[in-house]
Amino acid sequence: MLESSEKQKARGLKPLSSAADSGMAKAMPFHSDRAMSSEADRAMPSRAHAMDRGGDGNDGASLFSVRRWIAQITLWRVIVALIFVAGAYATYARFVLGFAASTNLTDPQPWGLWVGLGTLCGVGLSAGGFAIAAAVYLLGFERYRPLLRTAVTVSFLGYLSVMVGMMYELGLPWRIWHPIVMWNRHSVLFEVSWCVMLYSTVLALEFSPALVEKIPWKRAREWYLKWHHEILIGLVLVGTVLSSLHQSFLGGLYLLTEGKLDPLWYSPYLPSLFYLSAIPAGLAATIIAIYLSVRSLDVKVDLGILSEVSRVIAPMLIIYALFRGVDLFTHGGSKYLLTWREETISFWVEIALFVFAPVILLSREKIRNNPLYLYWTCCLVVMGFMANRLNVSITGLQASSRIYYVPKWTEFALTLATITAAVLAFRYAVMYLEILPKSPQRPRWMVKSAAADA
Amino acid sequence: MERSKAMLVDITKCIGCRACEQACKEIHGFSKESETHLSTTAYTVVEDHGDRYVRRLCMNCQDPACASACLVGALKKTSLGPVTYDKSKCMGCRYCLVACPFNVPRYQWSKLAPYITKCDMCYERQAKGQPPACVEACPAEASIIGWRDEILEEAQRRVLNDNKYVKQIYGSHEAGGTSVFFISDVAFEKLGFIAAPKHALPTLTANALGDVPTVVMVGGAMLSGLYWITQRRALVAMADAQEKKERS
Repeated sequence: MLESSEKQKARGLKPLSSAADSGMAKAMPFHSDRAMSSEADRAMPSRAHAMDRGGDGNDGASLFSVRRWIAQITLWRVIVALIFVAGAYATYARFVLGFAASTNLTDPQPWGLWVGLGTLCGVGLSAGGFAIAAAVYLLGFERYRPLLRTAVTVSFLGYLSVMVGMMYELGLPWRIWHPIVMWNRHSVLFEVSWCVMLYSTVLALEFSPALVEKIPWKRAREWYLKWHHEILIGLVLVGTVLSSLHQSFLGGLYLLTEGKLDPLWYSPYLPSLFYLSAIPAGLAATIIAIYLSVRSLDVKVDLGILSEVSRVIAPMLIIYALFRGVDLFTHGGSKYLLTWREETISFWVEIALFVFAPVILLSREKIRNNPLYLYWTCCLVVMGFMANRLNVSITGLQASSRIYYVPKWTEFALTLATITAAVLAFRYAVMYLEILPKSPQRPRWMVKSAAADA
Repeated sequence: MERSKAMLVDITKCIGCRACEQACKEIHGFSKESETHLSTTAYTVVEDHGDRYVRRLCMNCQDPACASACLVGALKKTSLGPVTYDKSKCMGCRYCLVACPFNVPRYQWSKLAPYITKCDMCYERQAKGQPPACVEACPAEASIIGWRDEILEEAQRRVLNDNKYVKQIYGSHEAGGTSVFFISDVAFEKLGFIAAPKHALPTLTANALGDVPTVVMVGGAMLSGLYWITQRRALVAMADAQEKKERS
């Protein structure tokens, strides 16, 4: 551990453990902002106290509490509130007014944004959980262990939001349990639904220690954790197999669309392509989650690990690109590569975002070792991944459906609200549970003076 | 396999009276207004293509993509031929709409408890030995029903014996064969027929699903093996460290 941080220093990368470092403060303006504002928060009560004593009495205090309440209204909080209001309306529209009022879905385009972005991307971007768990427990990459809980939390929340999305997406959501008792083993969707059900259970169990640790009764806690430790490897093993199956079967769903889906995306190897693209995207999503927690929450992670994870992403993207390229040329999609069509443009945007840009960027040490650059590169990977899933589920089917589907605003609102809720849940999980190691609680003035000393 | 029923639509004989549409609407209790496209209240429509009239209805495939797609098995190919829909099982995922190569199923988008709708060749009537309502209503015998092998023979006989017909029976190979056949004297693509794949679509997913046991076994074994190696390495490293400690 020590040695690796030495190495990073030599490479010019500052380990985050020294958050008080002046270099860190420069690299992360947000961090110092936060310090400043909380400083102000701290100063205010004493002023109020003084006012209180000054004879203004209770009026001053209540006025102050209103002012304090208003001061808590930040731009981001307003945006989040607006998103939730829009999401609430979308919920009303979907369940009280129906599909026709809440979506632009039609018979030729029966699956839209909720499936394309909600389900396909939601599950795909949650692939980090099984990838990191398998790397740590089965392959013995101990150095990724600090990422484990974050990856599992991101995945767990991802699957939860997919399930919430399912309730909106299904025409008869109260029958969501039907696949448990009504089986059709010829259906890819049946396999997907079972894998998602089982894997969500696995994720819940993998995530559970973070909650159980907070149980005040020592005996119960220890009994559970001991039991959990015993089944953990089994869980990881089962989870890896289940994930591999349904990540690929989400692509398998589209095998039936032969003749409908554009040749740029249709392939008998859709399952493999979905699998190969989900892992780097899931890892990128995990990196984004960790970077954001470090930037905005009091979290202490050696960001050098992120750069190590990013080393894996580029080769995975290259393998995916090679597979995709060979597939395009062997299955006849290649003749559409240079035609002037909307599909082809979407295709190249997708490839540029998901393959070209990240591979070029990640090949540069300067970018891998700078958390901010790395974060933006991972955002490109995630955007490219989303482009791919939306292309398969929407753009690629447009020509055969002969309609131009643009999601209704309520569709966007609901998707956005679900994502926001997941992000908020992640934020609170990191704040209140032991997901990521937190910086030791030090008074702000100490941090500041330490920085001044340095 | 049991003998199954099939329908033959001879486009050269259709006079465009829309009696089939009306009979269909009547038997399902829909309003009699004629519609231009298949909808939740029109399981069959007659389309105008210049001087030809083309009926649209569910092709009731031999190996239906919709039935293989349906995760709860609400859509089923009956041994009698029709592909039926059990609305009590449906959960409204709409994968059948995505899967259908002919874009037939319709969804009740404006209802709060929406279901799929499509023609099932009047399965209940056929089970009682009656012909589908549309066939019964057709005054020109443009739509006929019979045992699938006999109907196919009849279609072949007509196409081979009369030069006016296009030498193709639409439905004999489309999507691996269907229970509704069309014969025509105008090229099918000019009449709005889709150039559907010439093989049964469910085989595409069956291959992928067939890999599941292999993936589970091989994957599981490989991962267990990797875990064993990892464990073994850790043990060896620990023993080494112990040894060093003892020696020093």
